[in-house]
Amino acid sequence: MAETLLWVLPLVPTVTALAMLTTRKRRILSGLDVGGSTVLAALTFVLAREVSAGGPRSLGVFRVDELGLVFLLLLVVLTLAVSIYTVGWLKQAVAVGNMKAESLRSYFALVHAFVATMVVTILADNLGVLWIAMEGTTITSAVLIGYHGHRHGLEAAWKYIIVTTIGISFGLFGTVLIYAAAADVMGGAGAMSWSAIMQVAPALDPGIVRIGFIFVMVGYGTKAGLAPMHLWLPDAHSQAPTPVSALLSGVLIKCALLAIIRFQTIAAAACGAAFPQQVLLVFGLISVVVATPFILAQRDIKRLLGYHSVEHVGIVVLGLGFGGAIGTYGALLHVVNHGVTKALAFFAAGTAIARYGSRDMRAIRGLFAVAPIGATFLMLAALSLAGVPPFSIFVSELMVLRAGIGHGHWVAIAIFLAMVVIIFAGLLHHAGAMVFGEPRGAGRKAEAWSPLLAMLLLAAIMVLLGLTIPVSFDTLLRRATEVVVG
Amino acid sequence: MSAETIQTIIDDLGALLLFTMILIVAASQISRAIYAVAAQSLFIAIAGAVLATATGNVDLWVIAGVTLAVKATLLPWVLHWVVRRMNVRREVEPVIPIAATLVLAVAVVVMSFHLSASLGSVRQAITGNALPVGIALTLTGVLVMATRKTALSQMVGLFASENGIFFTAMAVTQGMPLIIEIGVILDVILAALVMTIMVLRVRSTVDADIAELDRLRG
Amino acid sequence: MTGDRPLGLVLLEMILLVLLGPLVTGAIQKLKARLQCRQGADVLQPYRDLAKLLRKGTVQADTASGFFRSIPVLVLAATVAAGALVPVLRAGPSAFPLGDALMLLGLLALARFLTAVGALDAGGAFGGMGASREMTIAPLVEPVLMMVVFSTALAAGTTELGALAAHRGTSWIFAWSAADFLGFAAMLVLLPAETGRIPVDNPDTHLELTMLHEGMLLEHSGPGLGCMLLASHTRQIVTLGLVAALFFPVGPADGIGAADLLLGAGAFAAKILVLATYLALVESSYAKLRLFRVPQYLGIGFVCALTALALRIL
Repeated sequence: MAETLLWVLPLVPTVTALAMLTTRKRRILSGLDVGGSTVLAALTFVLAREVSAGGPRSLGVFRVDELGLVFLLLLVVLTLAVSIYTVGWLKQAVAVGNMKAESLRSYFALVHAFVATMVVTILADNLGVLWIAMEGTTITSAVLIGYHGHRHGLEAAWKYIIVTTIGISFGLFGTVLIYAAAADVMGGAGAMSWSAIMQVAPALDPGIVRIGFIFVMVGYGTKAGLAPMHLWLPDAHSQAPTPVSALLSGVLIKCALLAIIRFQTIAAAACGAAFPQQVLLVFGLISVVVATPFILAQRDIKRLLGYHSVEHVGIVVLGLGFGGAIGTYGALLHVVNHGVTKALAFFAAGTAIARYGSRDMRAIRGLFAVAPIGATFLMLAALSLAGVPPFSIFVSELMVLRAGIGHGHWVAIAIFLAMVVIIFAGLLHHAGAMVFGEPRGAGRKAEAWSPLLAMLLLAAIMVLLGLTIPVSFDTLLRRATEVVVG
Repeated sequence: MSAETIQTIIDDLGALLLFTMILIVAASQISRAIYAVAAQSLFIAIAGAVLATATGNVDLWVIAGVTLAVKATLLPWVLHWVVRRMNVRREVEPVIPIAATLVLAVAVVVMSFHLSASLGSVRQAITGNALPVGIALTLTGVLVMATRKTALSQMVGLFASENGIFFTAMAVTQGMPLIIEIGVILDVILAALVMTIMVLRVRSTVDADIAELDRLRG
Repeated sequence: MTGDRPLGLVLLEMILLVLLGPLVTGAIQKLKARLQCRQGADVLQPYRDLAKLLRKGTVQADTASGFFRSIPVLVLAATVAAGALVPVLRAGPSAFPLGDALMLLGLLALARFLTAVGALDAGGAFGGMGASREMTIAPLVEPVLMMVVFSTALAAGTTELGALAAHRGTSWIFAWSAADFLGFAAMLVLLPAETGRIPVDNPDTHLELTMLHEGMLLEHSGPGLGCMLLASHTRQIVTLGLVAALFFPVGPADGIGAADLLLGAGAFAAKILVLATYLALVESSYAKLRLFRVPQYLGIGFVCALTALALRIL
C-alpha cells in the first residue's frame, strides 16, 4: 500500500496539471487546484501514518524515510495553503491586470508541474533522478517567475535560471564524483542509490568524497540560497507572483537543503562527521552575516522576505553544522517552521501589496485600519520571523543555539546572536510602520476570505508548533534526526 | 584495443577539449564561440563512441549518438538561428578584457590539475587525465558565463560547462546509467529552450539583451 | 633513423637551409597568388631580388652610426647559426656540442633585437614605430615558444633538438600525447607571429601603419637589405624546421649514404611544404589584426602552451 503511494504521489500533481489544461474557466481551475492539493495532502498523511508505523518504504528509484517525510509534509501543507490563497488572490490579480485570464490554465498547470517535480526531488532515492527533478524545478519555476511578463520579472527569471543551472551543474559534478567513488567499491550496480551507498559509505575513498561534497555544497547550495551564491534569490522571490514566491521560499529551497543533507550523511560516513560540519558551518555563517545588512536596507517588502529566506537557510545550515542530535533536530524543525512562517508572511505581504498597489514599504501605512485581520497576520508573521516567542521560529532557533553552545562554537554563536538581534530590531521597525498609523493610498475594499483562510491555517500551525510539538510530529523528527546523525 | 590505447585516446580527446575551451574563452565573435562549443560536443560524442567500443556498453553508443544529434548539431543550430534572425550583436561583450579572462582560464586549468593530483593513486586508477580536464572545462564554462554580458554567450558557457561534466561522467565511471544520461540531456535541452524563449521575448518587447537588464539591485 | 650528425653534415644542413629559405618564401607567395586567382610572381623571384640587391650600392642615413653598417651581417650570422641547430636530414644529436633548442630561440631573439636596434639607430620615425611594435610582440611570442619546447623536452629529457627528434622516432602520430596536441596548437598560433605573416604582420605591404617587420628594414639598402631579407627567409625556414623537429620528425635519414640523405631531404621538404601551405592558407583567409588585438590572439597560444606544460608536469 505504501509502496504504491510512492509512485502515485508524483502522479497526482502531474494529473492535476494536465487536467488544468482542459478548461479556461477560472472557477473550475481554482476548484481543480484546491481539489488536487487536498488529494495530495490526504495521500501524504496516509503515507506518513504507514511510515511512522512501519519504517522506510522504497520502490524502484523512490524511497521515503522519516527525513524525507518531514519535507514532504511541509510541501503538501504549503501546496494546500497556496491553493486556497490563490482562489482569492487570482480574482484580484485578474481584475487589476497582472494576470491574463486566457493564460490562467498554463499558470495553474505550471504550478502543479512544479509541485510534481518537487515531490520527485523529495522522494528520489536515486541521486541522478534527484538531480533531474531539481533541474525540472528550476525550469518550471523560472517560467513561473517571469510569468507576469514585465521586464523586471524576466530579468529575475533569467538571473535565476542561469545561476541555478550553473549551481546544479556543480551539484551534478559532485554527484558524478560520489558515483565514481561508490562504483569503485560496489562495482556499478546500484551505485546511484542513496540507500545502497549509505551501506558501503565507510569504504568510500575519502579524497573523492571530500571534493564531491564540496561541489555538491556549492551546487545545491546555490539552489538553496546560501551565500555567496544567493544573488538570484531576492530578485526571483520578489518578482514572482505571490503564491509562487511562497512555494519558492517555503519549499523549494528546503528541497535543495534535503539534497545537501543526503550528501552530508554520505560524507559523514566516509570522511568523518567533522568535515561536512565544518563546511556547513562556514556557509551558514556567511549566509547569516551577508543577509543582515541587506535586510536592514530594504525598501521592497518581498525582497526583504527574500533576504530573510537567505538568513534562515543560513540558520538551518548552521544547525546542521553544529551537529549532534539537538542541532540536527533544531535544523529540521526550523525547516518546517520557517517554511510555514515565510509562506504566511508572503501571503500577508501579497494582500497588502494588492491593496496598496505598491511593493514599497514606505507606501504601505496604516494597514490595521483598513484590513485588521490581514494586518494582524502580517504582524504575527513579522514577529515570528524575528524570533519572538511563543512562535515556532523561536523554538527552533533556540535549539540551534543550544547545540552551538553545547559544541563550544563560541564565535559562531556570538555572530549569530548579534545578527539575530539586529534583524529583530529592523523587522519590527518595518512591520510596525506598515501596520500602525494613518492609512494612505489604501483601497478600502473588504478583505477576501480565501487568502485569510489560508493565512489562518498557516498561523495556526505556527502558533501550535511554537507552544508545543505534537507527539507524533516529535517522534517523526526524532527518527529523521537519527537518519542524519546515525 | 588495449586499455592503454583507450586511455591515450581519451587523454588526447581531453586535450582537444581543452583547446576548444580556450577558443571559447578567446572568441571575440559569438558565432565562433558557438562553433567551438559544437566542436566540443562532437569530441565528446567521439569519446563516447571510443569508450563504447572498448567496454562494449551499448548505452554508451546511445549516449554518443544523442550527444552528437542534440548537443553538437541541434543546439548550436538553434543558437545560430537566434543570432541570424534576431539581429543580435555579433560581439561577445566581456566584463573584463579577454586577455584577463584567458589568464583566469589558465589559472583554473592549473588549479584543477593540482586538485586532481592531490587525489593520488585512486584518481589514476579511475580516471587518468579525464578528471582534471573535466573539472577545468566545468569551471572555465562558469568563468565564461560570469564574464560575459550577452545572453547567448552566457548560454554558450553553460553548454561548455555541461560538456565538462558529461566528459567526466563518461570517462570516470565508464558511463552513468543510461536513464540518467538521457535525463540530463533532456534537461539541458529544456533549459536551453526556455532560455532561448526568454531571450527572444525580451528582445522583441524591450529590444535589449536580457542579460543586460540590471534594474534589480540591492 | 638516429645517430650522430658529424660536423660535415651539420654544415651541409645549415647551407641547405640558407639556400632553400627564399624558395619557401617564393612558394608561399605563389600559393597565395593562386588562392587569390592571379598568376603571381615566379617561385624563384626572391632569389632574383636578392641578386639585384647585392649589385646595388648602399645609402645610409646621416644620423646612423657606424654600428648600423654591421647590423645586417650580424643579424644574418645569428640566423644562420640558428639554422645549424635544426636537424634537417637526420635526427640525432650532433657529434659535438653545438647548442640546444634554447640556444636556437636565443639566437633568433638576438637577431630580432639587433634588427630593432638597427632600426632605432637610424633615427627614422618608421623604424622607431616598427621596432616598438615588434618588441611588443616579442615578449608574447618567445616565452610561448620556450614553453612549447619545454613541454616536448620534458618527455624526451633533453632540449637538444636532434636528440628530441630522435626520441620521438617514427611513430609520431601515436606517440603524440595530449600535451603534444596543445603544444602543436600553440605553435600553429605562433607561426604567423614568428614569421611575420598575417594575421600578425603583413609582409607584402610597405604602408607605414601596417608593418612591423618591414618597418625596421626601411633604412637598410643594397647588400645590407639583401642580408636582412635573407635573414628573414632563413628565420622562416628555421622556425618551420623547429616545428617539424619537435612534432613530426618522421623521415630523417639513417645512414650517411647519398640515398638516405636524399630521402631525408625529401621528407624535410615535404614537411616544410605542408607548413608553408598552412601559412599561405592562413594568410589568405584572415585579415591582419589591429595591434591591440594581437595580444589577445597570441594569448590563445600562450594558454595552449601553458596547458601543454601543465599537462606534462601534473
